[in-house]
Amino acid sequence: MAKLLQPDLLALVRDPIDQAALIHHVHAAEDGAVVTFDGCVRNHSHGRRTLYLDYEAYESMALGKIREIAEQMHEKFPIHLVAIAHRLGRLEIGETSVFIAVSSAHRPAAFEACRFAIDTLKRTVPIWKKEYFEDGAVWADGEMPPAPLETRAAKPAS
Amino acid sequence: MARHSSAGYNSLVSLSSPTARVKVLFFGRLKEIVGHAEDSIELPDGSPIEVLFSHYGANHPELARYRASLVASRNQEFAAWSTPLHSGDEVAFLPPVSGG
Repeated sequence: MAKLLQPDLLALVRDPIDQAALIHHVHAAEDGAVVTFDGCVRNHSHGRRTLYLDYEAYESMALGKIREIAEQMHEKFPIHLVAIAHRLGRLEIGETSVFIAVSSAHRPAAFEACRFAIDTLKRTVPIWKKEYFEDGAVWADGEMPPAPLETRAAKPAS
Repeated sequence: MARHSSAGYNSLVSLSSPTARVKVLFFGRLKEIVGHAEDSIELPDGSPIEVLFSHYGANHPELARYRASLVASRNQEFAAWSTPLHSGDEVAFLPPVSGG
């Protein structure tokens, strides 16, 4: 079991995401593919014109959950390296809020792993965005993370 | 059960029972409802997260209305509402997530 010489790059950032640096980070001579996902701020939401977004996170937990996603990517897909950066704070229209780069020897694994990463991130990572419009602001409709099953009250030992 | 709504040094306990002091975090719209992001509170050792939430819900009825669309976490892991709490635990109440 070869241990990675270079680890995955996982980060929450407040400045613009350096996409080239993330791509460079995952790309090595043995890779035949680098697949990236660029999540960017859209100028409309539910038919209203968006002015800008403000992202906040439960930072320690969010980084832990992003780390879990990277670990699952390596378990599920024959990929080489992962880079995931999510930006926090105020973002203007067109700016990148999340960027994912995945490298692999052959393209199918990198495509599938990248899709898995963004879909899982949107469901499980504690980050929230507030959408600002001309006439007010709302917290975006989100997704409920999968919560653990409730345990029943302690039963007497049988 | 004594209730003090000021942030920072709340207590839900009587003097006789073993107690736990936990850190409580609020995010997104919950932070706006409660009026602060962080609290520290004392409660009977082993109390479930549900009891802690009920305390804040009693002081902030609008918060209680969101109960069905929240998840809780304990020490940075999603946790069932029945999860018992002990001293030093960090609990957070999380609205539906909307990153990406």
